[in-house]
Amino acid sequence: MLTSKTFIKKTKTGKILKIVREHYLRDDITCGVESCRECDGPHTLEAASTSPSEMCQGEHLLCPDTNVILHQIDVIEDHRIRNVIILQTVLEEVRHRSIPIYKRLRDILCNPDKHFYSFCNEFNKHTYVEREAGESSNDRNDRAIREAVKWYNKHLQTSRQIQTLLLTNDADNRKKALDQGIQSYTIHQYVRSLKDGKDLVDRLSLSGSKVFSGDKVQYPEHLPLSAIQKGLKTGKYLQGKFMASRENYTEANVSVADQEKMIFIQGLQNLNRAVHDDIVAIEMLKEEDWTCPSSVILVHTEEKDDTDEEEEKENLEKKRRKVPKELRQPTGKVVGIIKRNWRQYCGMLQPSIIKQATRHLVVTADKRIPKIRIETRQAADLMGQRIVVAIDNWPRTSRYPQGHFVRKLGNVGDKETENEVLLLEHDIPHAGFSEAVLNCLPTLPWEITKEDMERREDFRDLDICSVDPPGCTDIDDALHCRDLPNGNLEVGVHIADVSHFIRPGTAIDKEAERRGTTVYLTDKRIDMVPELLSSNLCSLRSNVERFAFSVIWEITNDAEIVKARYAKSVIKSKAALTYAEAQMRIDDPSMTDAVTKSLRNLNRLAKILKKKRMEKGALTLASNEVRFHIDSETHDPIDVETKQIRETNSMVEEFMLLANVSTAQKTLQEFPDCSCLRRHPCPPPSNFDPLIKAAQSKGFRIDVSSGKALADSLERAVLPDDPYFNVMLRIMTTRCMAQAVYFCSGMLPPSEYIHYGLAAEIYTHFTSPIRRYSDIIVHRLLAVCIGADASYPELTDKYKTQAVCNNLNYRHKMAQYAGRASVNLHTHIFFKNRHVDNEGYVLFVRKNALQVLIPKYGLEATLYLDSKTVTFEYDEQEHTQTCGEKVFRVFDRVIVQLTIDQSNLQHLKLQTKLVEPKIEGFSVPPSTPSETSDEPPLKKKKKT
Amino acid sequence: MAEVDLSDAEKIFIKHGVQDNCREDGRGCEDYRHIELETGLLSNTTGSARVRLANTDILAGVKAELGTPSPDKPNKGRLEFFVDCSANATPVFEGRGGEELAAEIGNILTRTYDCPSCFDLEALCIIPEEQCWILYVDVLLLECGGNLFDVASIAVKAALYNTKIPKVTVSRDEGLVELEISDDPYDVQRVEVQSAPCIVTVCKIGHSHVVDASLKEEACCLARLTMGVTERRTVTGVRKEGSGSLDPASLEDMMQTGKRVGELLNKSLMDSLLEEERQGSKKKPVGFLK
Repeated sequence: MLTSKTFIKKTKTGKILKIVREHYLRDDITCGVESCRECDGPHTLEAASTSPSEMCQGEHLLCPDTNVILHQIDVIEDHRIRNVIILQTVLEEVRHRSIPIYKRLRDILCNPDKHFYSFCNEFNKHTYVEREAGESSNDRNDRAIREAVKWYNKHLQTSRQIQTLLLTNDADNRKKALDQGIQSYTIHQYVRSLKDGKDLVDRLSLSGSKVFSGDKVQYPEHLPLSAIQKGLKTGKYLQGKFMASRENYTEANVSVADQEKMIFIQGLQNLNRAVHDDIVAIEMLKEEDWTCPSSVILVHTEEKDDTDEEEEKENLEKKRRKVPKELRQPTGKVVGIIKRNWRQYCGMLQPSIIKQATRHLVVTADKRIPKIRIETRQAADLMGQRIVVAIDNWPRTSRYPQGHFVRKLGNVGDKETENEVLLLEHDIPHAGFSEAVLNCLPTLPWEITKEDMERREDFRDLDICSVDPPGCTDIDDALHCRDLPNGNLEVGVHIADVSHFIRPGTAIDKEAERRGTTVYLTDKRIDMVPELLSSNLCSLRSNVERFAFSVIWEITNDAEIVKARYAKSVIKSKAALTYAEAQMRIDDPSMTDAVTKSLRNLNRLAKILKKKRMEKGALTLASNEVRFHIDSETHDPIDVETKQIRETNSMVEEFMLLANVSTAQKTLQEFPDCSCLRRHPCPPPSNFDPLIKAAQSKGFRIDVSSGKALADSLERAVLPDDPYFNVMLRIMTTRCMAQAVYFCSGMLPPSEYIHYGLAAEIYTHFTSPIRRYSDIIVHRLLAVCIGADASYPELTDKYKTQAVCNNLNYRHKMAQYAGRASVNLHTHIFFKNRHVDNEGYVLFVRKNALQVLIPKYGLEATLYLDSKTVTFEYDEQEHTQTCGEKVFRVFDRVIVQLTIDQSNLQHLKLQTKLVEPKIEGFSVPPSTPSETSDEPPLKKKKKT
Repeated sequence: MAEVDLSDAEKIFIKHGVQDNCREDGRGCEDYRHIELETGLLSNTTGSARVRLANTDILAGVKAELGTPSPDKPNKGRLEFFVDCSANATPVFEGRGGEELAAEIGNILTRTYDCPSCFDLEALCIIPEEQCWILYVDVLLLECGGNLFDVASIAVKAALYNTKIPKVTVSRDEGLVELEISDDPYDVQRVEVQSAPCIVTVCKIGHSHVVDASLKEEACCLARLTMGVTERRTVTGVRKEGSGSLDPASLEDMMQTGKRVGELLNKSLMDSLLEEERQGSKKKPVGFLK
């Protein structure tokens, strides 16, 4: 039967169109119930012989409405909720309203254990309803749902008595359903009636049910979307992404599109319930009300909960601080929320004063997220555990957002739990690979076939070797160098040919694209591609034949490139070396084998290449990378060392850079519009102000007019008696830089392609396809360039490529943050039982703290200057802190004592105390060795 | 126009019949043939109607679009007629053959509707001088069986009656005008057609005159009067066609007939439309598959 759906649409140009779609109704859509004799389609719904619910004794199916799915997806996902009919109406509405929840719902539908069935009620002749006059589309959908439930009840009556329950929290809808003889409950009623679902009750979202705190309105009202849109059009409001401050929960910034400077927001009233990552509409304040960040570090602590007290403090602060004009930043206030970007948050219960209370506050792990109020009956169980919670809503009368418990992760302090928290908080996909992805893997034993050999160049006889950090299993690059008859040298860089195994459009490709990068934590690696590829088939291990994508140069002895060519090849690495081993071979004059010889040649060429690069203005930047020595049994770190840089590191790096630049040129030449490149934008000169000021205090002038000038002036700024001075300057320089990002060449003018840090006109990533998706794209492009592989439409679609790049940039950033957080975590474990005095240098002077760099551990510690007995005076112009006669300046040497503050279990804090210079009433005496041994029993005492 | 060739004897037979108020198919001089009418059969138009009278078959569709009012009538919307003579109707229309006739029908429709009392164009205006609805009325000739003008006007009136323009709300905010359309498909604005005219063509045959002439009668007719008549007998436009001349007395006579018939035609058309509306959505559309 044919009907049509008609709707009226307004186009962007203001035209009003009437659109008519044909809609075909069928009478052969099956119900999906196992015991149904009439329908012979898939039987997803099984009739459970025993009812899990106390309320509805008979066999029953559930049919939730859209709002139940949207608000209670956490409950729906639970394994106890089974045999559910998802109507097409519901599915479409969910897709319309929330893509993430839609995806989760799709995943549930795919899971055979859940017995979820999607019923196409909109195409079923018996359940299709037409919108009536005076009926809103929501009412129509509710009616469609009721109609479908009614049909189910009638349909299933004939075979066996199976009831279909309508789950809806809409009272009106429920009443209408009951009038029509449909059994209907709220999700809350149903979950409470589950025999073994007591803990499931906690996971119910609170939206619409009740509001915890009193009637006192604490926040201004949000504007409706229509008013916001109008305001945006007239320019009265601005749209931007809300980014809460980590340091002070009453402050935030909003990044407004096409505006370079962030808009500052201060005060809970002005923040108006916006949560980090939301898209908000803001209104600018009058210029005389503009302020600046207070540079006071204010973090949610567990004890503080009294609203009035805090507000008072806030007000006081406002009065006290008359912000001078030159420090004022554009300041605004949030007037409405355009899109919430709430996700699930990790946190811990805040101990409640009243025992047996069911309402609790959850302190989130991310400092930018406010505390979340939840209701739970298992507080005693959850205390001291890391849990995941979700925000449901944030009413105007509530100081904190309201949410519900989702699941628990484990005991706080457990390495596993902490890693899980880290991955969740950084949105890193870390679940195992799905069946579909694993099915894309080649079957073992994997062999190189004759056809493969015919299509590839045979480099198995070359003396190729790989140089990597110790313990590396995903070896994606190898090198060789040999003499040519004409006196020149042939250098080859061989990269694992991952694109041979990961074909475009397959499940494994999509998964790799989603993950974007392999994430390295201190004790764990989250692979982008399954281990079989990353550690075996693609890894260029020694003495096995592997596929590679090779870049071969002819290079003169002065490291001038004569020509370059690219080829897919088969290689057999002669040795997989570590940096140290390679260094030893080079340095050991007794070694004269072919591999060592080629290493020496490579090393020599690399030095020349590096020199050339430096002359062009490439920057050497410092970061404080550390490695932990991990105890093999407890997996706790037992010692820390900062990463050593050997000649061989820079040798490998140099050739990788060369390969990347060469490929970038080649692909851009063939694909000027859709190459995947990497750029590092020139930072605006104002970014360097803190660096220039800091260097000035020691009498050095830093020239930031160009990359070259900066590199040279950094080179000159050396204090002979202070070896860390230059390193610190370089660390500061790194902080001034912008992030390097992937982009698609067709989206930007060529003048913006440059890579500032490397002083390269163009650059890309080609050399690590095992752990970066960008490299896979570049491999595919290059393969098309040399005719080794076929192209496909998405490869040459610049918008698609840019979309992939955007995701890669996000994943890359998150992976970096997660890596840092992991190092932090291990630092805390390391210092847990230690009390040590260390030499440090002041890196930054803040209003109430000093940032101290401790070179031994590559660590930055914050030394708070908030003593009650002595006062520090802060000079904003000079960036100094003065206490009596002692003045703290940038680069000053200090001795600090590091301990772990265990008062807050969620955020173990590294506590820094000043030892030297001595300040009466503030500094602590140096620790004695005996104190260290005292520490473990002391800790035990605390626990009991 | 489609022609039939008649012998003199045949012509005389028809003339004599008309004189005695008995036409070849048994009708009186002021009788219409049987009319079939259906509205709303093109879902992708804002309003549509199909009218079939004997062998004449006409489809009319109305499309509402936003536009700017013409500068001389800043507070009025517009009606624009476009007639297409399909070559399906008769082979003569092939190529540009039907253009002249199409222009003729279009002109007369425009003329009869161009009367302030018969059609409320102000209701189509949204914002004076800025935004108004323009109703594009497309008339498609599917088959020719005589009396095209009358049938076309009936189809147009029925299509306008069927027209449901989406309701537009105007909101003003600091000089910016925002048009919003309701998402409820039932929230619509109807066009008032109560006093819209129908065209009645009165043909002079011999000393008498007839309405709704068949093709054969048209061949006997030397002069005819095409007039737009509203329900209240207002004549909104008159045009004389044909090579023969008319003396003032018979002109007056024909006008009176036209008004009388026009009033009846309008009334019965409105009755039929209301009847169809009453049947509502339960009625199965008939369309072209009969």
